[in-house]
Amino acid sequence: MTAEIIVVTSGKGGVGKTTTSASLATGLAMAGKKTAVIDFDVGLRNLDLIMGCERRVVYDFVNVVHGEATLKQSLIKDKRYDNLYVLAASQTRDKDALTMEGVEKVLDGLSEEGFEYVVCDSPAGIEKGAHLAMYFADHAVVVVNPEVSSVRDSDRILGLLASKTRRAEKGEPPITQHLLLTRYNPARVAIGEMLSVKDVEEILGIEVVGVIPESENVLTASNNGIPVIVDANSQAGQAYSDTVARILGEERPLRFVDVPKKGFLQRVFGG
Amino acid sequence: MNARAETADACDLRFGQVGIACVRVRRVDAAALCDELERRVRAAPQMFARAAVVLDLSHLPGLPDDGAVDALLEAVRSAGMLPVGLAYGTSETEALAKRMGLPLIAKFRAAYEPAAAAPAAAQPARTEPAPPPEPILSAPAAGNRQSTEHHIGAVRSGQQVYARDCDLIVTGTVANGAEVIADGNIHIYGGLRGRAMAGAQGDEKARIFVSGFRAELVAIAGQYRVFEQIPPELEGQSVQCWLEGEKLLIARL
Repeated sequence: MTAEIIVVTSGKGGVGKTTTSASLATGLAMAGKKTAVIDFDVGLRNLDLIMGCERRVVYDFVNVVHGEATLKQSLIKDKRYDNLYVLAASQTRDKDALTMEGVEKVLDGLSEEGFEYVVCDSPAGIEKGAHLAMYFADHAVVVVNPEVSSVRDSDRILGLLASKTRRAEKGEPPITQHLLLTRYNPARVAIGEMLSVKDVEEILGIEVVGVIPESENVLTASNNGIPVIVDANSQAGQAYSDTVARILGEERPLRFVDVPKKGFLQRVFGG
Repeated sequence: MNARAETADACDLRFGQVGIACVRVRRVDAAALCDELERRVRAAPQMFARAAVVLDLSHLPGLPDDGAVDALLEAVRSAGMLPVGLAYGTSETEALAKRMGLPLIAKFRAAYEPAAAAPAAAQPARTEPAPPPEPILSAPAAGNRQSTEHHIGAVRSGQQVYARDCDLIVTGTVANGAEVIADGNIHIYGGLRGRAMAGAQGDEKARIFVSGFRAELVAIAGQYRVFEQIPPELEGQSVQCWLEGEKLLIARL
């Protein structure tokens, strides 16, 4: 059986690709799926920090691509979920260290190891690293922030997903596209400072698979090396759980997209 | 062992973009072509003397035989310009270019940017009294269009769709930074947020129809309008764009 390959991509940098990759992979593992998450951002290695395994990286993705280490040696087992593995990027190399054949070999190897899902954390941009991350994908999660430049870059990425991937080149059924809106702040949307869910859906012509509210928990979790989805008390964590469930085919209503209504006491006493 | 290194620094092989004139031949008349080009060279010698030109035969009713093409190339040379290749047309043009020992310049943008290039040979065909047996093609005639090109779904930022010699129908939105081009009319059953260029080979009768107007730019036969601010009465409306003289007009449907 072959693993389902999910690329997390955006075009623009800093929108939350790595945060999303970490939470998505963890969420899939929490749902009982054997999952690997690969950092394609060679030279700017971050995923291992968010996953909290930065001190356990011995061999990395580039080593496997070049045959300097086996897949088994390089996969880092997550300390919370034993069906979750991380394949870190190399910090000392650049994107040219990756090859199409090498990436294919690694993905095939993961299928043979019985992985059900492989999450590919794409680097920003549309160059080699991003191209290789999306090329073999079956699903794409396009991360977008509610602002115009991010939306335009996502549009560009959606175009590339439909034309520059293995499925497109072989004329197979197209990649399933999921739009994930992150850093959403309903209060700022209400006063017109941010694009709304509806605006973004209308411009890009596809529906969102999830909306992650802007939240300080995300930063705290990242700095502590804990994917935010593990924090079941945070809104962002719950929104990621909903998103993972939807990607797995469940239907769940969108949460945290409206300005929270003030309770009676808050209205009386302010605050 | 240094032999390879020594030859490797002998040159850099790179693809670059250079401006190049395109001579679009409207009829097979070497003498008239030579006269007209000579006039052009005399009028602007810095621009056209020994200028590299590409010969575009795609507007002739049929591909002329090798002798006639030789005569046309010689006409360009004797006018003081240097023919360097043929513009891409059909597989027949490709075979012809091979026989002539000339390169084929593929995806020649001048083919759909008549205002920017094609300085020569376009007007003489219209202004000079033509010998009756030679048919003249001023603009792609209606009968020349094969059919309609249909693009299903959105045209994403960075993508370009070109409908050669025909109309273009897009069922979806044309995003910011996307470009749709047709030699005929353009119909967009969705929003237009990017650019639309109809009548790309000079058909002034071409029109653009849009369901939700938010365009960056619309153009017909080289006449264009850019929209820094979309007029509020047009924004998001169904509109059509057409040409009246040199004026590009837009109105709600």
